[in-house]
Amino acid sequence: MKFVLVLVLLLSIQAANAEVDATSVDFDSQTITIALTQEPPQLNSMKATDQVSIVILSHVIEGLVGYDRRGNVVPGVAERWEIDDKTATFWLRKDARWSDGSPVTAHDFVFAWRKTLEPATASEYAFILYPLMNGEAINQGKMDSSELGVFADDDRTLRIEFARPTGYFVKLTAFVSYFPVRKEFFDKKGGRYAADATDLLYNGPFRLTEWTHSASLKMVKSDSYWDKDNIHLNAINADYITSDTRARLNLFIDGKIVHTRLDGETYKDALTQRFRIRRFSTGNVFFVEYNHRPERITRNRNLRKAIQLVFDPNEMVNKVLATPGNLPGISPFPVWLNGVEDKFRREYPAPVTDIDVEKARELLETARHELKIESFPPLVLLSGDSPTAAKQAEYMQGLLKARLGLDIKIDIQTFKQRLAKMTSGDFDMVNAGWGPDFDDVMTFGDLFASWNLNNRGRYNNPAYDIQVRTAMNSSVPKIRMDAMGELQKIIHDDAVILTQYEQGVIYLMHPKLKGVVRRVIGADPDYTRARVVK
Amino acid sequence: MTDITSFQPSDEDFARVKTDLAVEQISRPSLSYWQDAWVRLKKNTRATISLYIVIGLAVFTLLGPVFWQVDSSLQDLNQISQAPSLPKTAALVGAYKRWDGIILEDFPAEPEAYAKSVAAVTELRAFEAATTQQVRITWNPTPGAGGYNIYRNHRAPEDFNDLGLPLGSTFGGNEVSYEDRLSLESRAYYYSIVPTDGYDEYEVYTVTAITPQMIITVNDARGRNLITADEENNLGQEIRLEFHPFGTDYLGRDMLARLMEGARVSLFIGIVAPFIYVIFGIIYGGFAGYFGGRLDVLLMRFADFVVALPFLLFMILFKIAFGIGPGESGIFPMLVTLALLLWPATARLVRGQVLQIREQGYIEAARLLGAKPSYLILRHIIPNTMGVILVTLTFAVPAAIFTEAFLSFIGMGVAPPTPSWGSMCNEGIKTMLSHPHELIFPATFISVTVLAFNLLGDGLTEALDSRMRSRE
Repeated sequence: MKFVLVLVLLLSIQAANAEVDATSVDFDSQTITIALTQEPPQLNSMKATDQVSIVILSHVIEGLVGYDRRGNVVPGVAERWEIDDKTATFWLRKDARWSDGSPVTAHDFVFAWRKTLEPATASEYAFILYPLMNGEAINQGKMDSSELGVFADDDRTLRIEFARPTGYFVKLTAFVSYFPVRKEFFDKKGGRYAADATDLLYNGPFRLTEWTHSASLKMVKSDSYWDKDNIHLNAINADYITSDTRARLNLFIDGKIVHTRLDGETYKDALTQRFRIRRFSTGNVFFVEYNHRPERITRNRNLRKAIQLVFDPNEMVNKVLATPGNLPGISPFPVWLNGVEDKFRREYPAPVTDIDVEKARELLETARHELKIESFPPLVLLSGDSPTAAKQAEYMQGLLKARLGLDIKIDIQTFKQRLAKMTSGDFDMVNAGWGPDFDDVMTFGDLFASWNLNNRGRYNNPAYDIQVRTAMNSSVPKIRMDAMGELQKIIHDDAVILTQYEQGVIYLMHPKLKGVVRRVIGADPDYTRARVVK
Repeated sequence: MTDITSFQPSDEDFARVKTDLAVEQISRPSLSYWQDAWVRLKKNTRATISLYIVIGLAVFTLLGPVFWQVDSSLQDLNQISQAPSLPKTAALVGAYKRWDGIILEDFPAEPEAYAKSVAAVTELRAFEAATTQQVRITWNPTPGAGGYNIYRNHRAPEDFNDLGLPLGSTFGGNEVSYEDRLSLESRAYYYSIVPTDGYDEYEVYTVTAITPQMIITVNDARGRNLITADEENNLGQEIRLEFHPFGTDYLGRDMLARLMEGARVSLFIGIVAPFIYVIFGIIYGGFAGYFGGRLDVLLMRFADFVVALPFLLFMILFKIAFGIGPGESGIFPMLVTLALLLWPATARLVRGQVLQIREQGYIEAARLLGAKPSYLILRHIIPNTMGVILVTLTFAVPAAIFTEAFLSFIGMGVAPPTPSWGSMCNEGIKTMLSHPHELIFPATFISVTVLAFNLLGDGLTEALDSRMRSRE
């Protein structure tokens, strides 16, 4: 009798456990559980730079506009707007409210944008506000932030003056650096702003209600959001924080989380488990950047051309990376960028390189004469420390040795160290990548302008700079795109960089969760308008 | 009783007594110390096998590359991550030609309105003979589609959620072709096509199975010296690909050649480093032990100091001090660090032995008989410490191999593309589940080598230590 009782007790405990154990989706409560790759390092929208913080922020705070699931701009706090070459005006909706009940006003935007540009804030993304009149000068400490070209004409009218024509400005305002911050709340919290769930004010579809640092976060639906009727999820639990793809796959298999990314190793297990695998282009372009500084032999155009002639991006994508979704990199401008009317790459096809080893060797010989050297010294290829990066570097090493007889030394460094070496110019070639900050060709186009600090190879070509300026100072799409088309040609002809691939990822998503949006720019993945189906 | 006075000794009495040599004959051949040790080592089966393994490894390392002349850093992208197998053949084909695909002109790219559901596509088929260079598929469009998603699986899909890898998409209901070049092997692939509205999928699909033929392009074959100049026009003929008896790694490099080259690095460090520091330890310990006194105290305290030095830190310091930049081999600083930091153990051991032997009766006796110190050291002290020395050496070898493996594993050792067993393990562990051979081979070599040296060391201890004889 006793034994049976114990057994019954045990069983009931187990049953209770099964109920308590959160599953990744729950239809009745419309709750989902996700895993974050890391603890959000910075939830202050004026300083956030990393993907995790941006994802969380985009769920709890809303900017002037947002993107719909197909990447079109939709109204956010702003109801409507007008834009021309010199100014833009946004009219704010009256039912946009902060979580403390106060309305979201134009002053909140003015405060946030000024604050972001102030040198004391040291925001790494301050440059994204440079289209605003005096933005750059304020960020460099040459002017007071009150002179920024943004004005609250009244509580619900926000007027902007541009430093230069910025046709894509409306899209920019969807970015976290353009999010509003309520001054009274910010001042009250002082240094603790955004340090905890209670130290932030929310105006987005969700509110952060719990934040156990390094362990979990919980977001619940906001009842003061103006469009709450179209928000279906009641809660998003971020119960796990891990970047280990295998651990995440195991959580997914156990039904604990709704989404995980797969890599070259884990996708085979996902196939065996018969999961539905999905594909997504991240919009990032990866390339080898050459060092164009005068003391480096990679400044020689013929050397760079020779490497371009033996490198086959198809081989890189299909044999070396060998996961679906990556596209051969033939242009620094990825395929998804918009041109005048169609996609940019359809209007301005990228120049094609045909593999020609014989010609490459001739060019290499010319380069040797031009550089006045007996033989080529080993080139240093700076690379990241991820398994994929190391593999790519070794592939390049083998390729250049076999086809051109060039010796490559691989310098594997952590991200921070690699960035430091890129900045100081301590490399010949570096495996680099670039992700878009806003939905315009310019986010890639000005990358090799002589003044751009992200031009780590110090490429300096007046012809290139002219095209970038032309595009910057015009708001006529045709003129801008023509200039970008020229840039694409220059980058190919001069072999400024060696484009390798456009990144694609594969991932798993719970089949009962619908409406999750993957996007190239902004919060990815975006659960805002997702819902659990039966 | 014989009268002693009457005894007259004759010459005969003074003749030499004939000795019976047979009595004094040593019935078994006399054995020197080494011969004796050898005999007893041979009796120890484990040690003998280990000895053969060590010899085998030496042959593998030194003579292997003579017979297996394959460049260990040559990448064969036609045969990536191949498991060990027999030689493969491939058909010779021309260079890859770009394909623009099929876009139908008499079919709308987008329907006027997207319906709730559409029919699955029909006549999914290979556009031309499928090869491992490319698989081109095409299908008949389905009315209402605004694009198609293409999937690939290794087995026949069971349902809509089991279509496999999402290879790509086409945008437009009239774009009815796809070219797959993603790491193709000569095996059956199940391609599925799912119509979309340009964004979301309709839950219908069509499957077809395609088995690509293994091919190699003329350029590739010529670049790898697989064909002669006059064979180049024989497109379609079957040629033999490079043979990889141990398979290939993640960049198609020959595992056997890499193991041989890796052995050179691993065994070089594993044998040279202990040799240097054991010899140094013998001299140092012998010196301290033989002369004793204050000098002994001084020397041994210095040895204690060296023991306390952190290995990894010194390895990094030496790497910088020698100006070894990134991407260059760290083998030399590793050797120096090993030699400079690991000798105290041997020195202590030898010193202890020498101290003990110095006081033995036979040394005292030899000295009383007038033996010079050099004779004492060479004839008595060294041979008696030899057992300890050899054993230390054999135990130091696996320790050094492990150190090398560990340092290469964390990226402090060899620079790519030079392999070492440790760095090969490091690479192999990433693909442990899908391509286990890339980890198993180098790991086995490390384990077997370390085990062989350890067992050999055990055997030598028993064979060389005469005191162990009583146990037999």
